[in-house]
Amino acid sequence: MATTRERLKASFLLGFRGEAPVARGGYETAPIPSKTEIVTAARRLNRAAGTIAASVLVDSAMEHYRGDFRNKAMWTPIVTSALSIGVSVHGHVDGRHGAHPLRDTVYVAAGLTGLVGTAFHIYNVTKKVGGFSWQNLFYSAPIGAPAAISLSGLMGFLGERVRDNKPGTRPMVAGLPAGRVVAALTGASLLGTTAEAGLLHFRGAFHNPAMLLPVTMPPAAAALLVYAAVGPAGVARPASRGWLAATAAMGIAGVALHAYGVSRNMGGWRNWRQNLFAGPPLPAPPSFTGLALAGLAALALLVDDKDD
Amino acid sequence: MLSNPFSAPRARHGRAPDVFRHGAWVSMREHRETDEVDFAIVGTGAGGGTLAALLAEQGFSVVAFDAGPYFRPLEDFASDESEQNKLYWTDRRVVDGANPIQMGGKNSGKAVGGSTVHYAMVSLRFRPEHFSARTSLGYGADWPISWQEMWHYYDLAEKQINISGPLTYPWGPKRPRYPYRAHELNGAGKLLAKGCEAIGINWTETPLATLSAPLSGPEGKSPPCAYRGFCRFGCTTNAKRSALTVWIPRALAAGAEIRDLAMVGRIETGPSGRATGVHYHREGEWHFQRAKNVVVAGYAIETPRLLLNSADQRYPDGLANSSGLVGKNLMTQSNQAVWGRMDEPVRWYKGPPSLAITEHWNYDDNKDFHGGYIWLGQGPLPNEWASIQTGARGLWGQKLRDAMLDYNYMIGVKMVGEMLPNEANRVTLSDDLDQYGLKVAKITYAWGDNDKALIAHALEQMGRSIEAIGAKGIFLQEDDTNHLGGTARMGSDRRTSVVDADCRSWDIPNLWICDGSVFPTVGGVNPALTTQTIALRTADRIGQLAAAGEL
Ligand SMILES: Cc1cc2nc3c(=O)[nH]c(=O)nc-3n(C[C@H](O)[C@H](O)[C@H](O)COP(=O)(O)OP(=O)(O)OC[C@H]3O[C@@H](n4cnc5c(N)ncnc54)[C@H](O)[C@@H]3O)c2cc1C
Ligand code: SF4
Repeated sequence: MATTRERLKASFLLGFRGEAPVARGGYETAPIPSKTEIVTAARRLNRAAGTIAASVLVDSAMEHYRGDFRNKAMWTPIVTSALSIGVSVHGHVDGRHGAHPLRDTVYVAAGLTGLVGTAFHIYNVTKKVGGFSWQNLFYSAPIGAPAAISLSGLMGFLGERVRDNKPGTRPMVAGLPAGRVVAALTGASLLGTTAEAGLLHFRGAFHNPAMLLPVTMPPAAAALLVYAAVGPAGVARPASRGWLAATAAMGIAGVALHAYGVSRNMGGWRNWRQNLFAGPPLPAPPSFTGLALAGLAALALLVDDKDD
Repeated sequence: MLSNPFSAPRARHGRAPDVFRHGAWVSMREHRETDEVDFAIVGTGAGGGTLAALLAEQGFSVVAFDAGPYFRPLEDFASDESEQNKLYWTDRRVVDGANPIQMGGKNSGKAVGGSTVHYAMVSLRFRPEHFSARTSLGYGADWPISWQEMWHYYDLAEKQINISGPLTYPWGPKRPRYPYRAHELNGAGKLLAKGCEAIGINWTETPLATLSAPLSGPEGKSPPCAYRGFCRFGCTTNAKRSALTVWIPRALAAGAEIRDLAMVGRIETGPSGRATGVHYHREGEWHFQRAKNVVVAGYAIETPRLLLNSADQRYPDGLANSSGLVGKNLMTQSNQAVWGRMDEPVRWYKGPPSLAITEHWNYDDNKDFHGGYIWLGQGPLPNEWASIQTGARGLWGQKLRDAMLDYNYMIGVKMVGEMLPNEANRVTLSDDLDQYGLKVAKITYAWGDNDKALIAHALEQMGRSIEAIGAKGIFLQEDDTNHLGGTARMGSDRRTSVVDADCRSWDIPNLWICDGSVFPTVGGVNPALTTQTIALRTADRIGQLAAAGEL
């Protein structure tokens, strides 16, 4: 039995595939539809990645349209998130074990795009008069927005790692129990997304009490996930699952609340052409739904992972 | 079909316009003229509107009069500079002196809500030392209220008006966080900031009385600012927090009555020497409203005019005038500007005009003149810009056309500067009569040497700041003034002031003055927040005096 350290090292060398990969060819030429928990979890993560990517696609398309696509790089998140949606749908309908190279490539690209985008948005903030000030954090290119596409990539990438485990084995990611890795990373991602929502809702002075929801529910969900990541495995955690499901629902409800927010601008929905851009972004809240789905996938993995 | 707000009063028959909803009304309590109401308030602007709400909320019966119409912003306001001249007090007035003040749109409104209906929403606190200018800084006059007390009421005013401002304000003692976040800077605001940084002085986002997010207040629902920049011509969205959208709805909800198109011509006094009510002109006739207390809040020209026009046998020099100071010490604020052209488009008309500010020169005492000033980003709309071209530069014909084509590239910064009180600057009565048959105000004004030195300093600094960021073809606008103050100053000595710290006149205990005219000095910032703050304090004091049986 290899030590964790050796397994980690091996997994890096093998492209982060966790346990030694299963022979791909076999699956591809002779697909065995498998309903194992591993594939179920992986597909959940594909759905999470796809949901976040959909949020990014619509959000960045709207915001960059508003910014007139002044810089060609402003097309990047649109292309990347569209691709991420595509491979996520592919992963969702794919019942097979084993990571898929195209999906992997797109997810890694999405992850990197987000990082570059974040750097670019930070640069954009610092070069404005006032530099790193509230004014620029509030109103310049939002620092947190590109990170969302990274999260889509991350969730998809984790899905591929989970899927890359042999049927019937204990799912691992980078040599660590998959459920724990996914739970921890999803928890961190939820906190990041909360920070973004918090910043923008602070800009809106939390003028409506509902604006507190995305800064309270997701951090609690994150705490539950982190607790699950380090706590005992093989536990059902119905309360945590319930909370994550509620967080997922909040992401959807957020669209409706933002629609109400749009109506609060001058002219309301009759003036949708302006107010869709002036008001709160309709597509943003489902990022939380995507992450909550990933959290649910992690919890499911942990339930099955009794071998702690 | 909309009714014409000028043709007949709208606040009648137990209802008043609901400014937040098209065509809607709110119910309004009405008083008979024979009822002796607790307070008759003359003027419904920053001072009178605020006081009407706060007194009614304490349970006093209140009737507030305004000579102007009751506008419905959502329906009556057009995005048209000329049309919106209807907001201003353009009745006849006589101006003279070495530097006659241009009256009208620059400085006085005539509407329910007063000048705040078209004000630029800049909501600043005085520098603390400005409340004790005489003892702390050696000029002007002291206020009878400490800055600490004012700070407390500023807190309340900012909260209730719901100011949008920066998270930390760089000058002066600590203040609580503004209720709403600062607005996004427009091109002009960013350039002001760059200019300040280029010459090494601080800047910040301007605290503004317009919403940066929706608001559902007790008074009604307002959308956030739509950044179309018509603020000084009446905000069509109600994002602006004027007396018309903040205080008047509260006043009505608390049972105050508003009488629009009601010009008060004279305050009556009785045998005891106390005020007994007001004579007012409405719907073509003169009426009389009995009142236990009269508050005058007509701003620095109309307030002294009404007091002087109310002279009777007992008070031959006008009411509240035993000090002889009613009408004296009129102050305006210097409002000079520097303008220039940038190489890149600026589009300064987007958003409220004054999104960024430097107050550096209020807090720097190493100057060889008294007083301080701020400067603000600018965004004049085309008509106003054309008049600056013809006025300050004397351009006409083809030259004017060419200059106007540069509109999108222009930037400018404009000062609001302190002018010192001087008894020779004053409001008196002329023999000319207005449409109501009342003697009109004669306004005499001359800049002093200190005023000129302050203006020269500001023009130099402002010029440096825009030159440092590459503005070309810089020119100065040297003779503009704006806000008014003085003419019924408050103080702690009845020989040298007209009212005490509670805005109560020394001479007639049930006659109060609560508006911009009570300022002993105007400080180096825009006045409206301070006016509303004084009204907040006055309302508290009236409540305390009533409780103590001292009204
Ligand atoms: C274009 C412009 C921009 C401004 N921008 C700012 C700004 O950004 N920040 C700032 O702090 N200040 C600003 N001001 C100044 C500010 O609006 C005034 O200082 C403030 O409104 C004065 O308050 P007030 O209560 O003294 O008078 P007002 O608000 O002018 O109210 C007086 C009211 O009394 C009524 N009235 C007068 N006499 C009578 C009578 N005899 N009978 C019945 N009614 C009468 C008038 O019709 C008027 O409605 C601006 C002013 C103007 C004109
Ligand atoms: S820019 Fe904002 S405050 Fe000014 S008029 Fe338009 S909506 Fe009103």
